[in-house]
Amino acid sequence: MPKNQEHIVVYVNDLPVEIYRGMHVKHALISCSHELYRAVLEGDLIVKDENGFPVGIEGSLCDGSRLFTVKRENP
Amino acid sequence: MKQQKEIKHALLFFIIVLCIIIPVSLFAKDRSSTDLTILHVNDMHGHILPYIEKSVDKETPVGGAAYTASMIEAERRKNPGGTLLLAAGDMFQGTPISNIFRGRPVLEIMNYLKFDAMAIGNHEFDWGLGTLENLGSSAAFPFLSANIIDRRGKYLPGVKPFVFLSRKNLKIAVIGITTPETVVTTKPENVKGLVFLEPERILPGLVKDVRSSGADIVILLSHMGLDCDKIIARVPGIDIIVGGHSHTAVFRPVAEGGTTIVQAKCYGLYLGVLHVKVDLRTKKVISYSRKEELRVVYAGPGASFDSSVARLVQKYHDRIKDEFAKTVGKTAVNLVRNSRGESNIGDLVCDAMRESSGARIAFQNSGGMRVNIEKGRITMEQIFTLLPFDNLLVSMDLTGEQIRAILEQSAGMEHGILQVSGIRVILDPEKSRGSRIVEINVGREKLQPDRIYRVVTNDFLAAGGDGYRIFKEGKNIVYGDDLREAMINYLKKHSPVYPQAGGRIIWRLIR
Repeated sequence: MPKNQEHIVVYVNDLPVEIYRGMHVKHALISCSHELYRAVLEGDLIVKDENGFPVGIEGSLCDGSRLFTVKRENP
Repeated sequence: MKQQKEIKHALLFFIIVLCIIIPVSLFAKDRSSTDLTILHVNDMHGHILPYIEKSVDKETPVGGAAYTASMIEAERRKNPGGTLLLAAGDMFQGTPISNIFRGRPVLEIMNYLKFDAMAIGNHEFDWGLGTLENLGSSAAFPFLSANIIDRRGKYLPGVKPFVFLSRKNLKIAVIGITTPETVVTTKPENVKGLVFLEPERILPGLVKDVRSSGADIVILLSHMGLDCDKIIARVPGIDIIVGGHSHTAVFRPVAEGGTTIVQAKCYGLYLGVLHVKVDLRTKKVISYSRKEELRVVYAGPGASFDSSVARLVQKYHDRIKDEFAKTVGKTAVNLVRNSRGESNIGDLVCDAMRESSGARIAFQNSGGMRVNIEKGRITMEQIFTLLPFDNLLVSMDLTGEQIRAILEQSAGMEHGILQVSGIRVILDPEKSRGSRIVEINVGREKLQPDRIYRVVTNDFLAAGGDGYRIFKEGKNIVYGDDLREAMINYLKKHSPVYPQAGGRIIWRLIR
């Protein structure tokens, strides 16, 4: 995909979501579902990348990034 | 008999000698390798105060510079002479305590902690090049970026592409790189005249240069994001990538070819502690820690903290209260919200958005404004309460047809009406949803369906928030100011303000 393209496609729980280049994890969640975004803000769900690493909601994204929301484990 | 006795004595002597030699050899220092400890943080975004991170613990605070400082000092004591402290960018911008003082609190703390180097992140440009240069010149450690040059091909003033550090007779090169997406994500005027080179283009030559200058270990201090770091790791000769930008908690260092990649999420939640064993003969990395690389910085009762850093944080915390109490503007009328129709506070916010961005039309969701403001002086604190979300302005080109569709959706009131500036819309409440727009004027002219209009909104709506998918179809996207900053600047310039709602969104019964 050309680097100067304005949109990128990322995947949230395997669903493709198109957002503007330069947007963050939170924008992908907002675009996907407000309930999902709210659940993450409340700490009921956490966001992980395809490696299984938690990511912050202000984290950057690139074309093809894959995000998964999982229930927060009790400490 | 005598012979037996002599054999017994010899045997006894042999056993005694073995008892001495074996333990000595067991506990003798391994002189064939040495240990380095790489401490790292990234994307602090000004979080020098502890906070609650709900995904970790809904009650116990975490983070906070004083607590991180204590952990850094403890790690340094374990490996004196063998520890590095690195920051992978985006350290300053992000919280009121840091924003208001333009990053000074964070810099003072980093100087006190004797950071060895920092990669420049995209948010280091948020306050303009002048502020970045000021921070760099006041830093006791180098700001690094090997891939940002000006039109003459020179690095930014005071910025180096790499630095050599010496630990335990090892020469360590630390190279900095910054995401080229900075050009997209930052206000254009903040990066005017700068060229962000693709790291894959410049790194092979740079790595070769530092190696031929005698570097034993090469660390890339990268503000690119984990996905990009995994690609960059293919450049030969990089031992370790200390990363940032994607806010990833890399709990187990990622091995990509011969390169180890780490990242400590964000906001000072973790301190990254990478132990690296280096062969002294070959000067090559033999092994690195594979687990517990990220240590949570707990700030609850009983957690150790550095009292000097705590005093520094407290100094700015006390000053912030004064800053929050300062007047940023005045209003001659009560500023009142209304999610079912035009509000004067909505008018004001949208006017501020238009002025900041230069756009023709502005849209703001009613839900993004959280309090009313009584007439009189307006304080900084009130602005933060009015606009509590960290929203950015996003400008885009939309057609008249798209704008009409947005306004129709707004008139459906699913999430309250959108507040506007630059347009006047007449609606018929008797009509069914999707057909309520009677007339739209942009200035004195009717909205033309095929014409392109420059629109500004906030990043929440731009991402399709509240179901406004049409905002995702914009073209020529430009990210602008922080919404609060736009509001404060507008109030400082135009006070006293006296917005009167009633001329922009008109519900009229058409007979």
